[in-house]
Amino acid sequence: MTLGFDREWQLGELLDTSSHEKIGPALSELLGGDFAITDDAGKTFWGQPSPDARREALILELEPIGYLLSRSAPASALMAARNLMLVLLRAQIRFKMASTLHLESVAEDFESLKREHARLSESETRYKTLSTELDARVKKQVGELEERQQMLYEAEKLASVGQLAAGMAHEINNPLGFVRSNLSTFEKYVGKFAEMKNAQGAAAASWQALDLDFILEDSIDLLHDSAKGMERIARIVADLKAFSNVDRASEEYADLNNCLHEAVSMVQTQLPAGINFRFDLLPLPSIVCLPGHINQLFFNVIRNAILAIKDAGRPGEVKISSEADDEGILVRIHDTGVGMTKEQLEHAFEPFYTTRPVGGGVGLGLATARNVIQAHSGRISLDSQPDVGTTVTMYFPTPS
Amino acid sequence: MPESDARHLTFKLVYYGPAQSGKTTNLLRLHDLLAPELKGEVMTMETKDDRTLFFDLLPLGFRAPSGLLIKFRLFTVPGQVAHDGTRKAVLSRADGVVFVADADRAQETNNGESFQSLAANCARVGLDFDHLPLVVQFNKCDLPNAVPEAEIRDRWSAAPWPLVFAVALTGQGIELTFEHLLRTVYRNFGQKLELQAKHGLSEDAFVAGALRKAA
Ligand SMILES: Nc1nc2c(ncn2[C@@H]2O[C@H](COP(=O)(O)OP(=O)(O)OP(=O)(O)O)[C@@H](O)[C@H]2O)c(=O)[nH]1
Ligand SMILES: [Mg+2]
Repeated sequence: MTLGFDREWQLGELLDTSSHEKIGPALSELLGGDFAITDDAGKTFWGQPSPDARREALILELEPIGYLLSRSAPASALMAARNLMLVLLRAQIRFKMASTLHLESVAEDFESLKREHARLSESETRYKTLSTELDARVKKQVGELEERQQMLYEAEKLASVGQLAAGMAHEINNPLGFVRSNLSTFEKYVGKFAEMKNAQGAAAASWQALDLDFILEDSIDLLHDSAKGMERIARIVADLKAFSNVDRASEEYADLNNCLHEAVSMVQTQLPAGINFRFDLLPLPSIVCLPGHINQLFFNVIRNAILAIKDAGRPGEVKISSEADDEGILVRIHDTGVGMTKEQLEHAFEPFYTTRPVGGGVGLGLATARNVIQAHSGRISLDSQPDVGTTVTMYFPTPS
Repeated sequence: MPESDARHLTFKLVYYGPAQSGKTTNLLRLHDLLAPELKGEVMTMETKDDRTLFFDLLPLGFRAPSGLLIKFRLFTVPGQVAHDGTRKAVLSRADGVVFVADADRAQETNNGESFQSLAANCARVGLDFDHLPLVVQFNKCDLPNAVPEAEIRDRWSAAPWPLVFAVALTGQGIELTFEHLLRTVYRNFGQKLELQAKHGLSEDAFVAGALRKAA
């Protein structure tokens, strides 16, 4: 038997003992003393039922749930008592069923609420994760935008530095030209003076007195030194021009080995003592690229290598190697400098991340390097150990 | 599964459906029309403006040849949407269901929603909706804007349940609905309860016992 509202209620459930103790004496009084109440199973709730008593069934639905018994009361009186009792029991069963049903439905509603709550909290967590994901995505995109912005700024800076360099090269080339030609003319003129060496008399005496032999010789040396200086200026200007590449800002075929050489020649002029270059460059196929940007890329990486060795405070070597296979070109720039910690490695490609003191560098080197490589569909990776050195590996795919 | 002991077998049958579709009227008419061996009064629990707040209950019964007392307790649920908790509680432990739909065309959505809630509530109170004895009654076919029988039959043609068209106000189709339910219930539980084998009760005798007409 379940304990639902729809169970078949027993007399004992409908009227408790105290109710029987009120009803029993009242009906006894009305029925003349001899009166008893039993349930359908024969259990007595009030009085003492005798076997030969008259009895009336208490039927709420189909079957009796109990009986009223009396020996002395007339049949009509007992029936009247039964009817009275039924009115009481009906009121009671309605109340019992309604309250039990109410409890059941409240429990049901509570279950529904719990289900609804579970559903809501599930969707809440879903939205929470979604919103954190969204947050992360937005942050990432903002970061990417900032990086792009930085790239653009870098590119513009590169272009304006290039323009400046090209303008300077042009301006320097003119005076350089006439200074060089003047110097060689001047050397011829000095040759003319030398003919006076063989003169006689007072001239010869003055020659001796003024020590013109030495002056002549030294003049020639000075002129040669000046010419060499001019050569060097001319080469620097040429390098600057080649490096800045304003005259070849668009894509073209280039040999990356040449780019490496150009980048090295840029740093070599300010190379601190105790740092050597070693080259291991194998023949490479030419690839379509932006040579100006590639130069900047190699320049950044090589300059980092030099700074790393300088930071280590001991002599070192920058080894530059290149090789090609069917898929692409591999360029490695290795230094024996300070190296990087794990933490530094993790942040190495972030714009503005720098280990150098303020003013030492903006920290755009590797970020720019990666941007350039990615623009060429390539990859760049870092391999480093503190106090041992760093290897930057760059890969450029060649079209198959 | 019906409640049973050695001498009794009780089927709980529930009239389910949207508000005002005529569930209570079904019970009142059955009470008037039927005269089985045992018949109780319709117990109407608390109504407000004629609308059921808890349930109605009509008990009917008869004795099988074996002496087994077979009892039917017919309940109605409150149709109003707000009383879903009560509806579920009344529906629990049901052995058979009559779905009383309102043939009024304006009530089509309510019928649909109520039928959905029947399926959902069955699952929640642990009844297997797919194997529940179920009869679908379209009541109020007397209304001028009732959906025509042919249209309803067409729409329900794929459904496995018996369809009855009724006018509960006049009693039309009320007994037929109950008969369909009795037969489905007998087919569903008869074997397990050994109604024929142990109690000598055939399907027709089962139906006749419950449906005996009032004079
Ligand atoms: N025209 C018409 N009216 C009917 C019919 N059957 C019932 N009604 C009326 O519809 C109204 C609602 O009937 P009820 O039997 O109380 O409906 P219910 O399904 O019990 O309603 P709830 O208890 O609110 O769920 C009453 O006014 C009935 O007289 C019918 O066949 N035709
Ligand atoms: Mg009702």
